[in-house]
Order: sequence, then C-alpha cells, then structure tokens
Amino acid sequence: MNKVTRNWMINGTPHRVETPPLRRLLDVLREDLRLTGTKEGCGEGECGACTVMVDDEVVLACLLPAGQVPDGAEITTVEGLEKTPGGRLLQEAYAEKGAAQCGICIPGMIVSSYALLRRGPLQAPDAIRTAHAGNICRCTGYKKIIAAVEWAAERWPETVTPTE
Amino acid sequence: MAVKEVTTYRVVGKGIRRLDAADKVRGQAQYADDLHVPDAWHGVVVRSPVAHGRLRGLQRSPDFDWTQVVVVTPEDIPGHNIVDMMGRDMPFIAYDEIQYCGEPLALVAAPTRQLARTAVAHITPDIETLTPLLTLDEMVTQYKTNPPVLHELSAKQIRKGQGAAALADADIVLEREYTAGHQEQLYIEPQGMIAIPEKDGTLFIIGSMQCPYYINPELCETLDIPPERLRVKQAAVGGAFGGKEEFPTLLAGYCALLALKAKRPVKIIYDRNQDILYTTKRHPAWSRYKVGLNKDGTLHAVQCEFLLDGGAYTTLSPVVLYRGILHAAMGYRCPHVAIDGHVYRTNTFPNGAFRGFGAPQALWAWESMMDELADAVGLPPHTFRLKQALQQGDTTPTGGLLRDSVGSPAVLEQTLARSGFADKWSRCSLGRAEDKAWYGIGCSFFAHGAGFTGDGEARIKAKVALDLEPATDGQPIVNVRVSSTEMGQGTCTILPQVAAEALSIDIAHTGFPMPDTFKVPDSGPTVASRTAMVVGHTVFQAGRKLKQQLEERVAALLFEGQPVELRENEFHGKYDAQTVPFMKGAAAVLAADGPLRVYDQFKLPAYIKWNQDTFEGDAYPAYSWGCNVAEVWVDPLTLEIKCHKITAYYDIGRVLNPVLALGQLEGGLIQALGYALMEKITIKDGKYDADRMQTYVVPTMLDGPEMDIHFLEYPYADVEPGAKGVGEIPMDGLAPALANAIARATGIRLRDLPLTPEALLKHGGFAAPAQTA
Repeated sequence: MNKVTRNWMINGTPHRVETPPLRRLLDVLREDLRLTGTKEGCGEGECGACTVMVDDEVVLACLLPAGQVPDGAEITTVEGLEKTPGGRLLQEAYAEKGAAQCGICIPGMIVSSYALLRRGPLQAPDAIRTAHAGNICRCTGYKKIIAAVEWAAERWPETVTPTE
Repeated sequence: MAVKEVTTYRVVGKGIRRLDAADKVRGQAQYADDLHVPDAWHGVVVRSPVAHGRLRGLQRSPDFDWTQVVVVTPEDIPGHNIVDMMGRDMPFIAYDEIQYCGEPLALVAAPTRQLARTAVAHITPDIETLTPLLTLDEMVTQYKTNPPVLHELSAKQIRKGQGAAALADADIVLEREYTAGHQEQLYIEPQGMIAIPEKDGTLFIIGSMQCPYYINPELCETLDIPPERLRVKQAAVGGAFGGKEEFPTLLAGYCALLALKAKRPVKIIYDRNQDILYTTKRHPAWSRYKVGLNKDGTLHAVQCEFLLDGGAYTTLSPVVLYRGILHAAMGYRCPHVAIDGHVYRTNTFPNGAFRGFGAPQALWAWESMMDELADAVGLPPHTFRLKQALQQGDTTPTGGLLRDSVGSPAVLEQTLARSGFADKWSRCSLGRAEDKAWYGIGCSFFAHGAGFTGDGEARIKAKVALDLEPATDGQPIVNVRVSSTEMGQGTCTILPQVAAEALSIDIAHTGFPMPDTFKVPDSGPTVASRTAMVVGHTVFQAGRKLKQQLEERVAALLFEGQPVELRENEFHGKYDAQTVPFMKGAAAVLAADGPLRVYDQFKLPAYIKWNQDTFEGDAYPAYSWGCNVAEVWVDPLTLEIKCHKITAYYDIGRVLNPVLALGQLEGGLIQALGYALMEKITIKDGKYDADRMQTYVVPTMLDGPEMDIHFLEYPYADVEPGAKGVGEIPMDGLAPALANAIARATGIRLRDLPLTPEALLKHGGFAAPAQTA
C-alpha cells in the first residue's frame, strides 16, 4: 500500500509518521502514536470528541485524512495542553468548576476552549457557545463547561496570547 | 435504625473536586478502547437482516479462507444458550425464531476488524420471514382491538380503595391518551468490551459497564464457568445513563465466547451506527387515563392503563414497568386508584434501562393529565396541584405512608413562587393571532422513588468494604471497595467523602479504585438512584466500624492503652493532650497488622413493608421530590419551539456534594429537554431510522435554556448522611412541563413525545386556535 511520510510537531515533540494518505488522523494519533486522549464518539464529525488543533485551526481528526495534514504541521491534542500555561489554566478551570463528568467529551471540548481563548479576549457574548457548538456533551448540560471557560478567559495569561 | 450521631459535617456537603478530574482533563482516563491489549482480535456480530423470521441455516462462502478467523455459532456455547435476566427467553445467539432485526446469528473474530467484517460478508443466513410487530402504534391498536394477539412479557397492577369502580361516583370524568417514543442514551463513548483468557483458567472481562456483578453471574451459565473464575473489571466509562446497565452482559458474552474459542483476547468496540442500532433504548410507552374529580377539584379516582413496548425479549422490562406504574398516579392525594401495566413484545431490539426507568414515561402522561384535569374543573394548574399535593402523613397509591423526609409541597410552592408562575401563567399567548411570538409557561410536580423498587434492596443486601492498605506510594490509604461504578455521576467522589466523614479524616486519605469483582463485594448495581442513599449509608457504617478498630489499635500501639478518638484527622488521647496524625497512626497499624478490611451490609428499616404480589405497602424506602417550571416561546410562522428558561427545586435529601449534584440536575434536564423536544426515532424496514448522530439529534451548547435550580434538603433520617437519589429525577418532569407550556403558548395540547413543530402543524398550528384543544 502506498504510504506518505510526514514530519509533524505533535504537542511540541517532532514525530516522523509513515501512513497511507487516506488513513484518518484519528487512527494515526490513537493507534500508531498511542495518543489515546483524543476520542472517537461518532466517526462522522458530529460529536467533536476527536477535536484537535492543526496549526491554529480546530479540526475533527475523524474526518481528516492524514495525507491532507502537511509536512511541518503543528498538531495539538489534549495531551499537549499541560505543556502550555493556557492549557494548564483550562485544565484547572474544568476541574475546579466540575465541567468534566464522564470525561469522554472533554479531550475535544477542552481543545475547542483552548483554540478559542488563545485567539484573544472574547468578543461576541455567545462566543463560548458558538465555539463549542460542535462538541456534544451528554452529561453536564454544558453549564459548568461554560462556567469553566469563562473562568479561564478571565485569567488567561496575556503573555501567551495569541500564540504560546 | 441509625440514630443521627453527626449533625455538622466536615467533608459531606462540600463541593469537593472529583477524584478523577485530573485524569479526565488531561486525557489520561483509560476507557475501554484506550486499553492496549497485545494480540487482541476484533469481534464482529453476524446479524439478522429481518425483524421476525425463522433461521434455516447459515451458509459460509467457499471463496473465503475460514482458517484466518474464528466463528462462533450456538453449537460452540459451552453452557446454555441463554441470557439470564428477569426472563429466560433470550438466546445469546439465535438458533430458531428470530425476534428482531440485528439479532445475533453468529460471532466472528479476526486479527483485524476489517478481516472480521470481510468474513461476516461471506456468511449468508437462510431465513423464512415472518410478519413482525414493530411499533408502539401497532401494539396499541392490537391492544384495543385484539389483545390476545400480543405476546405479554410482563404485567402488574395496583389497586387502592375501590379502584376504577369509584369513577361512577365522580362529578367529572376525563379520559385521555398519551404516547412517548424511543430515546437513545447516546453516551459519547460507544459500548466496548474486552475478554482475556488468563493462563490460570480465569476469564478476565474489562470494559465499559455500570454493573460488574451483572456480568458475573449472568455469563456463568452461558460459559459454564464457576463465578470464581470469571473476573469482571470496569474501565473508565464515558457515559451510561442506563445504557450500560444490562446491555454489557451481551457484549461481554460475545467477546467471551470468541475469546474462549480463539484462545486469545477478543475486543469489540461498537461504532456509533452499531451502538444506536443494536443496543437498548428507553421503552416507548402508551398511557390511557380515566380520572374522576369531585366538583371542588379534588381527585376522586384514577384509572390508568400503562403499556410499554418491551422490544423482543423480557430483559429488565418487568422492573421498568414496576417503576412506571408506581409513578403513574404519584404525587397527589387520591382515595381510589386502579393501574394496570403491561409490557408487550415488539420485534425490535429489547428496550431497557434509561435514567428514570419507566418513571419519565409515566410522569409525562400523568403530569400532562394534571393540567388537562385542572382545565376541566376550571382551576389554574398550580392551584389544582397545590390543593392535593401529598404531604407527610399521606399515603401513596400503594398505601405506603410518607413518614419523613417529604419535600412536598415545599418544592412545589417554592418553584411556583420563584418563577412568578401564577402571574406569568395568566399572561400566556394561547395562540393569539395578533402575537408575534407565543409565550407559554407550564409546570410539573413529581416524586421519584430512591433505591430499588419494591423488595429489591431487601433481596440484594448491598455489601461494601473499606480497605486500609498501602497506596502505590506506600503511604496508608482508605480505599472504598464497592461494585458501584463511576460513570460520570460522581460515585468515585461522594463515596470517599462519606467514608472520610465517618472516619473523620481528610478525603485526601481515601481512594476509589476501579471496581473489580475479584476485589470488591457486591454493593449492587449502579442504578435506581440508590448509590448515594443505600451504598452511601453502608459506606458510612463501614467507616464507623473502621474508625473504631483503628482507635483501638492505635490506642494499643501508640497510646499505651489510653482510650483514643480519631477526630479531624488526628488520633486524640482521652487523658492527655497527645495527638498523632491519622497517617502516622494508620501507618503504625499497617506495620503491625498488615492491611485491614471492614465490611458492612445494608438493612432496610424494619418498618418498611412491601408485598411484591399485591403491590401494596412501601414501594420505596424514600422519595426525592421535584418541581419544574418551563417557559417557552413558539414562533407562529415556523412553529419553532424554544425553551428559554427552566426553574426547578429538588429535595434529594442531604446534598453530599453540591457541585456534583447540580451537575446531575443540569445534565439530566438537558437530556430531558432532548427527550421532550428533539430526540425522535421511527422504524423503517424493521430498523431505527435515526441511526447515527447526524440523524439522532441531541442538544448542543446552543440549545440550553437558562437554568435556575435549587435544593431544598429534607435529609432521610434512616440513612447516614441522609441522601436520597439525584441521578434519575431530572429526567422526570421536563417533558410534561414543556407540553403544558406549549399548550399555554399555542392553545394546542400535544399528547405525543417528542413535542415538535411538525406535531403543532398537524394539530392546526397555523390556524391559531383560540382555546385549548
């Protein structure tokens, strides 16, 4: 089978990946690299549990063929958040506010939060709801997740905005 | 029973951070699909393409190399081909009559999922098709016209006073019918299980589950394996809501049968499509009420027929039915009650446990009916409810006495007051043509039985253990050892809180290892709003025992026999000012005696009497109470329904952890919002049509209304620290509150769930009727 080679910076660490180009980024992360923090909830881009960042964009790893992620791309998954001040702040916010219950949606949810907050201060009043509309949570009713993101937004470290 | 010894709490009642929070926010929690099992093969189920038929045989294509895979058919089952739940009617693998589309006909395992699927594609079943009965509508039509045609899976009745005969004496009699459709649990982690044959002959099952002690013993008969050789352990669970109560026994069975034949680990992780098509749903339900009122608006007699669509086999349906009928006329004083409940077979996947367990279906109809009754007698719905809400000293429809911890009518009064209900209710739109948007407000009021229905707790006798043992760092830790599982709701935190409270130590010195049947006693399944009340109490009792034993040992080891009290994390000598930190004392005990385990067991208070045959007496040890007020806007042009505010009060007894309890209520209310307004499944060609997340639509962050939720604590005195249940009650009341609000907004009474713009249109939505239909 034809494979492509990619050099990616995943969570700040260089990785050289050889993969069939149509293999889902999700499978490369979970199976090849054993980064199992990123979850599969639906496999069709509806639930957001597989949300990761490729460069500055939020993407769904279950929909993205690995071959479409260019050489040199920076990939951020839930496992990479604790390496950044903003990511650690969000983890603290989620834990403190009771935003995680069963926890299965959290890896995707918190990456969406991180991508939102690192863009700078929130502008629109419904910015948080809109930014997480693609992340389904069946446990919390979302209220505590919104509270966690608000809490983190108020404390977001200026020095790490917009890029850490 | 227990006399209150503690009045102020150190750990209980605090919004302590979840013990699993750090792992979950870092993506480190290990769910079934995250577990790395070297050499595991992948299992796939060969399924029936028809909903009803007779299996003549399975043809394996000669074009496929069958030596690469393992195939399990009924002949390979070591024990009986039966899933032993409430009924013994379901085979693990169908061998004769097929009762639903997707019923297993064989199992296949292969080194890769792709190869296993390829093998499945080379198996062709030969089936004589029979006529299926597929839907609730067909079932109800048969019930009304030709009931003997139906296959009854379960039935039960309740009688109080003169029953239905008393309708003859009523001043007003109103008859109404309501239906509710399927609801999918839609936990975000699909079902997943792994079976690993160990070298010592043990079979190790690990995966996503609520109830490890269902799988053992339920699989023992099928696998012909003694319970002591079947080890079941829970992996992190990514949501369950009842969907991982009884179903995982099937998945564990598929994995186990394949693993035993393949002599290697076998893993099955469902994808979302399989998970929706081939796992349990909330039972569709039909209710018909005939209710007699006195002229003054008081209830005189309730007659109710309550039907559940059981799906193909019995599974847990009898208990779902019991909880349904026990809530079908609950909440209000009424001298004469007759309730007849039936579960009938349809040719669909067996319906099963889902948060609320029959009560949401019953209360959907009953609390809609209450508004229609209020209308019929000319009273506002809040006045009508306040007039007859049950109070301490009243009896339930089964004659159970409400002795204490009765949050009624306080939760009703408080919710009505806080929401400004009476005033807003008088200003609703009622479909007025001149309004640009239709406003409506509606309420519901309900109780939810905490703990197992009927004789369940007396039969199970929940057992718990506390272990004082060295943690991985060698330091002493008190581990809570129960089969009650963490699935998001907070068990892994509230039970350590209770243990820490009983011991008077910090929660940091407690732990909650993942339940493993080789290490924990059977505290019962994690269901029925029973964990905080029943298991919590038993953990508290065990904590007190452990405290006493530690005090005695520390007295001997470190205080030269002087009596010692463990208080606020320190051992205090009775006669001098000497204190020893808990960790030092515990380490001394561990060093001298080794690990220490104490057990305790739940006993129902002696005064609780229940007759399982006649359904008379105390159906539950205690009830939680709740009231929901929902406010909606309906767009007269599009008929779009938008719930913008929910006000609610709940009495769940003592609140063990307010952050977690609120999380249950907020999350449950949004799940109830989905049930009421969005989540819809119909059946096409024997299959659910909404079989993926694109078509089975649940609330997103954009759909949530403002939620104003409060607790009124009426601690349950027979248990320590006095919790009742919180898990299920948020599902109970929102659908009828919304239907009542929509009726006030539009003038249209909807009697079928879900409540959709299409339903409003069907009932003449654009015609803007002037009065309630």
